Amino acid sequence: MHQAIPYSHRTNFPTTDGLSRHPRVTPTTSSNGGGSEAEDATNVGKTVSENAVMVVGRRGCCMCHVVKRLLQGLGVNPPVFEVDEKDEVAVTSQLLRIMGAVEDGQDGQVQFPVVFVGGKLFGGLERVMATHISGELVPILKQAGALWL
Amino acid sequence: MNSPSAQFVTSRRMGVYDPIHQMSMWGENFKSNSNLNSPASLIVEDVKLDSQSEDASHGISGPSNQYDQEATKPVDKAQRRLAQNREAARKSRLRKKAYVQQLETSRLKLIQLEHELECARHQGSYIGGGLDAIHPGFPGAVNPGITTFEIEYGNWVEEQNRQICDLRNALNAHVTDMELRMLVENCRNHYFELFRMKETAAKADVFYVTSGMWKTSAERFFSWIGGIRPSELLKVLGPQLNPMTEQQSAKVVVLRDACLQAEDALWQGMERLQQTLAETVAASQLIEGSYIPQMAPAMKKLEALVEFVNEADHIREEALEQMFHILTIRQAARGLLALGEYFQRFRALSKLWATRSHEPA
Repeated sequence: MHQAIPYSHRTNFPTTDGLSRHPRVTPTTSSNGGGSEAEDATNVGKTVSENAVMVVGRRGCCMCHVVKRLLQGLGVNPPVFEVDEKDEVAVTSQLLRIMGAVEDGQDGQVQFPVVFVGGKLFGGLERVMATHISGELVPILKQAGALWL
Repeated sequence: MNSPSAQFVTSRRMGVYDPIHQMSMWGENFKSNSNLNSPASLIVEDVKLDSQSEDASHGISGPSNQYDQEATKPVDKAQRRLAQNREAARKSRLRKKAYVQQLETSRLKLIQLEHELECARHQGSYIGGGLDAIHPGFPGAVNPGITTFEIEYGNWVEEQNRQICDLRNALNAHVTDMELRMLVENCRNHYFELFRMKETAAKADVFYVTSGMWKTSAERFFSWIGGIRPSELLKVLGPQLNPMTEQQSAKVVVLRDACLQAEDALWQGMERLQQTLAETVAASQLIEGSYIPQMAPAMKKLEALVEFVNEADHIREEALEQMFHILTIRQAARGLLALGEYFQRFRALSKLWATRSHEPA
């Protein structure tokens, strides 16, 4: 079984101020990313680029829970960026900027939950499920540094 | 439709019109029943003779009749009347026979239709999503999306049975891989078609799909979010795929584990959904005699259920795809045959069970 090495021990990822301001975004022993504070929408970009795997989803969304559980089952403890309804537009535009205009079929819409691997958009629950069943997900996660042998 | 005896009586009284009138009445019956062709022609001929003789006795036009009328004597009149009676009686007996034969045919048809209806009922076809349909508050018990799905599913099962037969014959006949490939492709596309159908049905009535209402009773026992658990299926049918290489066996094991993990993750999401829904419903209060304003968040949760059903089917679809990658064509054919027969047996079991429970009545 793959073990996720706690984030704080990883030296190759810089810990910045932006991250420390939102402690629950850090993947540590506390598995739940849920909290009562509203997330700063502008921080999405930073946290995406600084984490090997990251999940962005609506607050209280059960599908988000599914993605998280699946990744946790593989030994990855991804931070979950929970989006309030009022922040949804802001976060979406942020994410689209990260993804760039290269992604096809997006046309201004982001389907939550969305997973980022290695700072790049990976896909939604469907893609995660499909790659997991075909056996492609674990190598991808390893390549991104989310999993160690 | 008049009874034959009533028509017999009217023919005596009414003269010319009756045979022709009765002929047209029976004519419709005769069209549908080819058995009655010979008696029909007999009666037609008799009718012609009869009308001529009756024309003569009533003095209705025709120069040929006048000669007869001049030579008429009372004895001949009586004899003619007796002959007419005999004819009428004979025709009536033939008509009665034809009518009874037609009744028998209709009776057989009715029995057949009733049997078909029973079969359809045992298959578990409910219209409009079960209990919801009989609730008086709901306008219209029939959900057109679900009705469409039921009809399509019936056709799907029929086609499925045909494909299973084809696969069985092909494997027994040891056909070439090329021919097998075609059958396997058809079978595979057929399954994907079912997933598309279910997706549409889930939008129409998600509870219908999650409770597996379109399936037979025994199949429903294994229902997990609108279908069977893919890992379960792999466990049961895996051994039937042998002989497999060690590599293949290992891959199947890996696939099964992946399915299990995916299923567990999905199930945990479902449980979370159930929990939040329960909390939402528990928290809602009666406002001015209506629960509706409070139900908005609950309604949203229910919409999420559609995604769960779709995701469950997605896992099934991906697992199926993966199996096609792992197996050879011949193994895939065997696997599809085993899969199809597995569900066929469950349907048979359900039917058997349904007829069993009706016996004490």
